[in-house]
Amino acid sequence: MAEKTNRRQFLKMAGAAGLGAGAVSLMGSKALAAGKSIPKTPVKVAAISFLSGPAAGPFGIPGDNGYKMMADIYNKQGGILGRKIDLISLDEAGGAKTQVELARKLILEDKVDVILGYISSGDCKAVMPLSDELGGLMLAYDCGTHVLMEGKKSPYKTPKYDLGFRTSAHLGQDNIALALAIKKYMPDVKKIAGINQDYAWGRDSWHIFELAIKKLLPNVEIVKTLWPKIFTTDYTAHISALQGSGAQIIHSSMWGGDAVTFLKQAKASGLFNQAKMALSRGEPYPQELGAEFPEGQFICCAGAHYFLYPAWDKWPLNKWFVDEFKKRYKKYPTYPSYHAFQAITAYKTAVEKASSLVGGWPTIEQTAKAMGNMGFETPSGYCVIDKDHNAREDCLVGISKMTKDYPFPILDPDRLMVFPSFQVNAPAGISTEDWIGSWKS
Amino acid sequence: MGLIYALNGLYFAAFLFLTSLGLSIILGVMGILNLAHGSLYAIGGFIAAYFIGMMTGSSTILMLVTAAASAMVLSGLVGLVIETTLIKPLYKRPLEYQLLITFGILMLIEDLIKLVFGGESRYASAPFDAMGSVQIMGHTYPAYFLFVMLITAVAGMIIWWVMAKTKLGIMLRAIEMDRDMAQAMGIPMRRLTVTAFVLGAALAGLAGALVVPTTPAVMGMGMDVLIMAFIVVVIGGLGSLKGALVGSLLVGLTRSFTVAYFAELEMPLLFLIAVVILVIKPEGLFGQK
Repeated sequence: MAEKTNRRQFLKMAGAAGLGAGAVSLMGSKALAAGKSIPKTPVKVAAISFLSGPAAGPFGIPGDNGYKMMADIYNKQGGILGRKIDLISLDEAGGAKTQVELARKLILEDKVDVILGYISSGDCKAVMPLSDELGGLMLAYDCGTHVLMEGKKSPYKTPKYDLGFRTSAHLGQDNIALALAIKKYMPDVKKIAGINQDYAWGRDSWHIFELAIKKLLPNVEIVKTLWPKIFTTDYTAHISALQGSGAQIIHSSMWGGDAVTFLKQAKASGLFNQAKMALSRGEPYPQELGAEFPEGQFICCAGAHYFLYPAWDKWPLNKWFVDEFKKRYKKYPTYPSYHAFQAITAYKTAVEKASSLVGGWPTIEQTAKAMGNMGFETPSGYCVIDKDHNAREDCLVGISKMTKDYPFPILDPDRLMVFPSFQVNAPAGISTEDWIGSWKS
Repeated sequence: MGLIYALNGLYFAAFLFLTSLGLSIILGVMGILNLAHGSLYAIGGFIAAYFIGMMTGSSTILMLVTAAASAMVLSGLVGLVIETTLIKPLYKRPLEYQLLITFGILMLIEDLIKLVFGGESRYASAPFDAMGSVQIMGHTYPAYFLFVMLITAVAGMIIWWVMAKTKLGIMLRAIEMDRDMAQAMGIPMRRLTVTAFVLGAALAGLAGALVVPTTPAVMGMGMDVLIMAFIVVVIGGLGSLKGALVGSLLVGLTRSFTVAYFAELEMPLLFLIAVVILVIKPEGLFGQK
């Protein structure tokens, strides 16, 4: 019975969300022509995630499951303005060049209504310019690079792409939130180290974390920075080097099998007897490692995406999402599933919002205008897409703790830190680096 | 920390020795540059992860024996199939055909693994967790790594014994030294090349089986291991057991101490060693001209 109530609440919220958002004068009076028809054909939605390769397990498949679940649910509710969603799940494997070719085909030949996609930041950066070039609506749903929507010099012109959006927050907020959490719980920390995968994701994550922690705790010494190549199977050498450095906090943005492998080997080597991890996207791993996941580690949730936050009694949409996901996939949703919800719901919300203003089925340009400066409800709280076409969300950091309720550590309910979006995201038009640089120590 | 750095280096060397040994044997005896070696390693990893997952609650040794045996048998069988169907026509073709076909096989097996096991990572850490840690001169060290070193030492000695002391080994070495002369002497070339390929494939499967308790079996794992295995083979020399051992030790120990003291040089230094060896001694430290 409770589930039905929550579901109804969700439907009400999802329907109302588009109307509750930002400016409404975006279409102009000419666009308000009434009586436009809505096609009977399905809406073609391309959803692109890693369905093979090392990123499939931790991100691609949970993300794809999120898309499938929400497309199914929205279709049962009547689709988008009565049009069924024809979800086309595609593999992100093959590298940026392959993805550029695929995006061209999807926009020009298959004429999809929207592309929701990409986990790899490299793919996002390569594909996003096609949105304006080819006139296709594109929503980056999971990739984390902060430079995707930012300009090189502040202030930069917004938006960078008229038809390109990102519907989840970027790595800047993860790492700033971690630095803030460390300042709160370990203000006397003296020695910090980093271990991040040796490619743009790892380098960018450490770069932002280092900038932020040095501003917040100027006396901290960076004692070691390690860059293992991606998909390393043996971290013993790195673990010993970290032990030898005397670091009290070790920052890492490692993901997938690399994160699991490192954490297991580090635990067996006794690393956590002397240091705590600060994991910028660590939210999926307690569930992956079970009781083997060490307690007392800082974990960031790539936003406020966590199956127990916001609390179910205060935010029923999260409970509904968690229950529905667990029923279908026998796991609690992790942040890529939440990101998928946000992408498909952002599109639906923008179409409905634009339609309420122009009548009928909106054009891609009208949908894009509706999406800029739009807010909507998500299972993780409220998400706003700002004028730079970048999503802004609150960010949750917690500390792992074993309880009797789950077979894996959860985030200690007494030590949850939720940082509001304005505290962890640079304002639109200012680059993350420049924004951090402007903080007073 | 020096002792721990050395132990880490030895563990990594053990892993490299297992992964490169099969590659080296196939290359030495058959003259085939087998890029599909990585996918045979991946098959071993996925099979072992499957059996370890199925045997939750069983004793650690039983789990490991079952996982290793099934991985070796299946990788060996797949090796047999691909050798007799796809590799056999390549013996008289130029090297580029070998590269293309074996790379194609690698991709094919990757897709087969996906078809059978799905795209998700498979975790099989129960043996690693169950063995826990030991104290070595005040330092905590994972016991499973010591176990892998032991198994590698045993496997290495068995292979050495087979190659040095048995008729099979002597014939394989004869083929490696001079194919034409070996054939003229009446050595059953076909049977022995198949045997060498299956042996190499089974060793790749064993390496995959031993690694999955420490790291998940993931799609693409075969591609990654190839690079390190090639570095070892380049340094040690083609087809040389001693070369694979020395190459593995050199790479393993260099990597461990480099990460500790000059972390940024981890990979560049390994590639630099390989390049220097290629320039000074192109056949590798123990390879034949």
